[in-house]
Amino acid sequence: MKFAGPQRKSQVVVDFLRESTNPAPRRSPELSCNQAPKVDFRRKSTTLLAPWALQLRLRLASFALWAAVYSPAPIAHAEEPAESAASPPVAAEFVELAVYPPQVRLEHGADAQRVIAVATRADGVTVDVTSQVQWSRAGEGPELLAVDAGVVTPRAVGNALLQAQLGELTAATDVQVAAVDPPGAPEFRHDVMPVFMRAGCNAGGCHGAALGKDGFQLSLFGYDPAGDYYRLTRQLSTRRINRALPDDSLLLQKAIAGVPHTGGKRFTPDDEYYAAIHDWIAAGAGDDAEQAATVESLQIYPPQAVLEGSDAAQQFIAVATYSDGEQRDVTDLAVFLSNNDASAAVGDSGLVTAANAGEAFVTARFDVHTVGSQVLSLSPEAKYEPPAEPPANFIDELVEAKLSKLRVSPSGLCTDDEFLRRVTIDLAGRLPTAEERAALHDDQSPERREHVVDALLASPDFVDVWALKWAEILLVRSEPNRVEYKPMYLYWQWIRNHVAAGTPADAMVRELISASGSSFLEPEVNFYQIEPDAKKIAENAAQAFLGIRVQCAQCHNHPFDRWTMDDYYSFAAFFSQIARKRTEDYREILVFNRGGGESTLPVTGKAMPPKFLGGEQPEINRRDRREVVAEWIASPDNPYFAANLANRAWSHMLGVGIVEPVDDVRVSNPPSNPELLDALAARLVKHEFDIRKLLRDIATSYAYQRTVETTAGNAHDQRNFAHALVRRIPAEALLDCVSQATGAPERLPGLPPGARALEVADGNGGNYFLTAFGRSKRTTVCACEASAEPTLSQALHMLNGNTVHGKITQGGLVKTWLEEGRTPAEVIAAIYDRCLGRAPSEAESQQLLALCGDNEKPVAELEDAFWAVLNSREFLFNH
Amino acid sequence: MFGHTSPVSRRGFLTVGAVGGLGLTLGDWFALRHAAAAENEYVSPPVKAQSVIHIFLPGGISAQESFDPKPLAPIEYRGELRAIPTKIAGEQFSELLPRTAGIADKLTVVRSLTHSEAAHERGVQNMLTGYRPSPALEFPSLGSIVSHEFGPRKNLPAYICVPNMPSPYAGPGYLSAAYAPFSLGDDPARNGFKVRDLNLPGGVDEARFTRRREALAAVNQSFVDRTQADGVAAMNSFYQRAFDLIGSESAREAFNIDAEDGKMRDRYGRHQAGQRMLMARRLVEAGARFVTLSYGGWDHHVQVTGNMRRLMPAFDQAFAALVSDLDERGLLDDTLVLVSTEFGRTPKLNQDGGRDHWAKVFSVVAAGGGMRRGMVVGSSGATATEPEDTPVSPEDLATTVLHQLGIPAEKELMAPGARPIEIVKGGQVRREMLT
Repeated sequence: MKFAGPQRKSQVVVDFLRESTNPAPRRSPELSCNQAPKVDFRRKSTTLLAPWALQLRLRLASFALWAAVYSPAPIAHAEEPAESAASPPVAAEFVELAVYPPQVRLEHGADAQRVIAVATRADGVTVDVTSQVQWSRAGEGPELLAVDAGVVTPRAVGNALLQAQLGELTAATDVQVAAVDPPGAPEFRHDVMPVFMRAGCNAGGCHGAALGKDGFQLSLFGYDPAGDYYRLTRQLSTRRINRALPDDSLLLQKAIAGVPHTGGKRFTPDDEYYAAIHDWIAAGAGDDAEQAATVESLQIYPPQAVLEGSDAAQQFIAVATYSDGEQRDVTDLAVFLSNNDASAAVGDSGLVTAANAGEAFVTARFDVHTVGSQVLSLSPEAKYEPPAEPPANFIDELVEAKLSKLRVSPSGLCTDDEFLRRVTIDLAGRLPTAEERAALHDDQSPERREHVVDALLASPDFVDVWALKWAEILLVRSEPNRVEYKPMYLYWQWIRNHVAAGTPADAMVRELISASGSSFLEPEVNFYQIEPDAKKIAENAAQAFLGIRVQCAQCHNHPFDRWTMDDYYSFAAFFSQIARKRTEDYREILVFNRGGGESTLPVTGKAMPPKFLGGEQPEINRRDRREVVAEWIASPDNPYFAANLANRAWSHMLGVGIVEPVDDVRVSNPPSNPELLDALAARLVKHEFDIRKLLRDIATSYAYQRTVETTAGNAHDQRNFAHALVRRIPAEALLDCVSQATGAPERLPGLPPGARALEVADGNGGNYFLTAFGRSKRTTVCACEASAEPTLSQALHMLNGNTVHGKITQGGLVKTWLEEGRTPAEVIAAIYDRCLGRAPSEAESQQLLALCGDNEKPVAELEDAFWAVLNSREFLFNH
Repeated sequence: MFGHTSPVSRRGFLTVGAVGGLGLTLGDWFALRHAAAAENEYVSPPVKAQSVIHIFLPGGISAQESFDPKPLAPIEYRGELRAIPTKIAGEQFSELLPRTAGIADKLTVVRSLTHSEAAHERGVQNMLTGYRPSPALEFPSLGSIVSHEFGPRKNLPAYICVPNMPSPYAGPGYLSAAYAPFSLGDDPARNGFKVRDLNLPGGVDEARFTRRREALAAVNQSFVDRTQADGVAAMNSFYQRAFDLIGSESAREAFNIDAEDGKMRDRYGRHQAGQRMLMARRLVEAGARFVTLSYGGWDHHVQVTGNMRRLMPAFDQAFAALVSDLDERGLLDDTLVLVSTEFGRTPKLNQDGGRDHWAKVFSVVAAGGGMRRGMVVGSSGATATEPEDTPVSPEDLATTVLHQLGIPAEKELMAPGARPIEIVKGGQVRREMLT
């Protein structure tokens, strides 16, 4: 996600130069006909006469690099299938061949489209065979196109089938040549704006900054083409472009570092980027505002690559489809990024090279679109060992499918005791009791772990855990002069009642989003009181219920996702008609629909009609807009809602989301296992949004029951569930665990003795322990507010604070046990049993007993052992 | 693991990780936790300041009533307070700063600080992080950056807040919570002041604590040996730091303000400003790298004169004592003292005799740590309306402070989403402030 820094970019330009000045680049016959002998002469004299010819030349020149990559490529024109002796295809090992893009459309005589051929081996490994296949045109008819080194160029109008052959395998793509006329002059939105993004001009660190850079501003990632057009052509009138002498335009001189430029050299006069801007200026620097087609979609090919060995490479191509049907090869214009360079790095040309074994996601960005492909980089030595046990349910099938693809073998299963402690902390927020342990030991049925899960999900303790989960994202907290304690407490009770009653999550969310009324009688309206700003409310709703962060798009199009400012303000429009008023009771607020009020897009000042995120523009028909959006958000058809809930449930149990962070769903942050996420979401819908049923599916899967112990092959896995993750127990549950283990209940502010920390309603409440251990303050809907990050204060508090030391004394368990006549060894065993759910090892027991010396009633010594157990990482973490 | 002093590159780490097994990571995850540094080029400047005492005045103090009086302006601009001469020839401070005026030859006064965030939380963010607020990202405070770059020294936490974080934006931002400040949690000016959890609980002496540690080692061993989890390793390192702190008498003693001579406590003043600044001096003297203390509430929309008369004398006494004391101890050259705030106040008094928010120009004051003594940088013109010359941005200020500490502001740290972010972007080292 690097904003193109000057140094990095200029390096790329140099590389490109070196490549393009290669003395013997491959060129197609058309090229030489139109090649002008002297660049300078051409620029100044012939451009206006025949800009298309130059565009053609330059466009093809840019494909020369591509041709160089695919050098020993066999050329086959029309019906003359040429045999190539140079590269004997090793087709035998492949089971599948694919050609991308699946459809080619050529728009004009100078158009060209890269095509790639990808072969798949039986073990799933893919190989870029573009230079090994034989390209030929299948079927009858005149010669419509030429294929040279994986680049298709048009010859005559018509349709044809382009076929690739590799041994026995064939694959084909439709080619439509729409026209062979010369192209028109470059247009601003179509040809010039993409250059600003590709060359990094409108990045946040450069002219895309809010105040521009060095006196010149472009809209960040091109969100405002009209503004950019104005700034180029009208602001400082003739300074930036020179219609008479296009080469002297400051815009171009800066870009090629012909004059001093803080951003350095972005491209050279020989680049197609230069040509696009130059020719646009030469043709009069027109505005194509009215007629410009918009980019409807962007595709990246291939959709997935599985590379074996650290030198394997795969070329990616990007193809844009416009609203007027144009299909355009934008591989040269898109910005390619990899989220994990260590495993698969991507070059500016879209060439992905594998490195260390691992997983990466390669994205291409063009216009406002970002799309991505998964790239797996596999070690040839690694082998997948399937687990001993057959899959417990659909979850295991999908987790194992991914692990097998990655060649990472899962760890074994945890013991019954480990399982009981893990699942009790996760589902009940406490430690297992002696009775629960005994019951599990007595239960010899194969379903004994399921029995544990069922009992926990039915217990009131689960309500505490899951209500807390909701309270965090629904911002349950009091705030002076805004939300008083009473409505806050009622709001919290509303959540608890729903969780206790097992209300389907979709119904609960619908009720909340469409809520109007008194903050006493309909306490869910507090969602609209704790945050008064309509835009923020929209952001909160998107993040809490859909896992989408649209914040960026308030000021500019989201740089790493699909959300535009239009999307943002259109979605915010659903929440723009909320009104509030006070009643006689200062604590009570009425929230209602005002029936008026719009959300205006600051760039244009226009009121935006309400429109679902990534969805349609619904009929409102004078209904409360929030009712309309509530139906959409909590609909089983909403692609985000069920997936978001399922992912939050998964993350709660496994310690890491399939999308992580759970509330940051975006194209460039893909799920680690999309099939699993889809299956969980579908399952939740099938369960009619009963979260208990989904949690049961998760808790009874073997994926949840693996041990935390890793093998050499899976130790580094953090996202694919090859082993269980060690997680610090969340603040509230940890305090409850300490209280439970020591038999000393916590006195919590405003709650009766014996109340659990999980029951503290107010995000602004709690005590020092909870704050120190990262309890969510609920000031934002971000899941990150509840933190399990360790700190110095936590360690100090455990060591010296009154929680551990005080509770051991207060609970007096050691004293009681000794008075009951237990021996020190028995007391140590009891402490271990209570806190860690296991017996001490012989060595541990001996070491602790040694500290007691000869003392008959070593209360202080054994309390120190208790203290040590509570301070141990084994206690603080769930594992 | 935390607070490494040598730059570990993200790629370097991943490569190392891959040797042990099948380097299976999804970029961000490890990047965040193990080597939150990107890979850009930077040159670390020489270390001039060993530590920073940051005195933050929340609410936005009026420059006109403190370091930048306008005695020649009309009454509605200059306010009711007089100006007095200082030890810098030709420069004046408010009459409420007599002692500070007496040590002005040790100070660097910047009268042309300027930004455009006139709302409290945005101004605070800008001043504490050197970044304008962003809806997408929370930036780390300077203290957290120092903690991230250098880690603890002499068993003391690198970044300490006295008494508490002055704002949520004084935290680690996108960096790990490991770089959050350690907050005293109690006001040193309070009788019976004590830092939470620093001392052994009642009934536990050194011998018993040793026994506890032995017991803990016995219990902890097998689990820690078995797990390679990051969170566990981090917790282990914090336990180790806690033991270091508890075990180091000199470190713990730094927090014990009662150990300070009564006369010295009187010199700083027995009030919040005095005792907090004295505590800050004790902490940096003992090894803390960055101490942020807050004093007062300076959001004087009403009655700015009266409010300044109430708050300023304590600040004046304490600040003058701090700077002189540091100088006498030979610590001033190594210790950068910075007095800053959120923004300034409007040029004209309002109808309530107060001043409203004004971010366009205001003053900050620095001393020591390689700052030029007796220097006034910039001017706010005749009426404190806008910088007349040498405008200094929060980015510049942050960059300059970091520069003195030996931290290059252009170095990139890794924010979530594997997004490399410069420590401070677009700031310049302001040489006019430096010796």
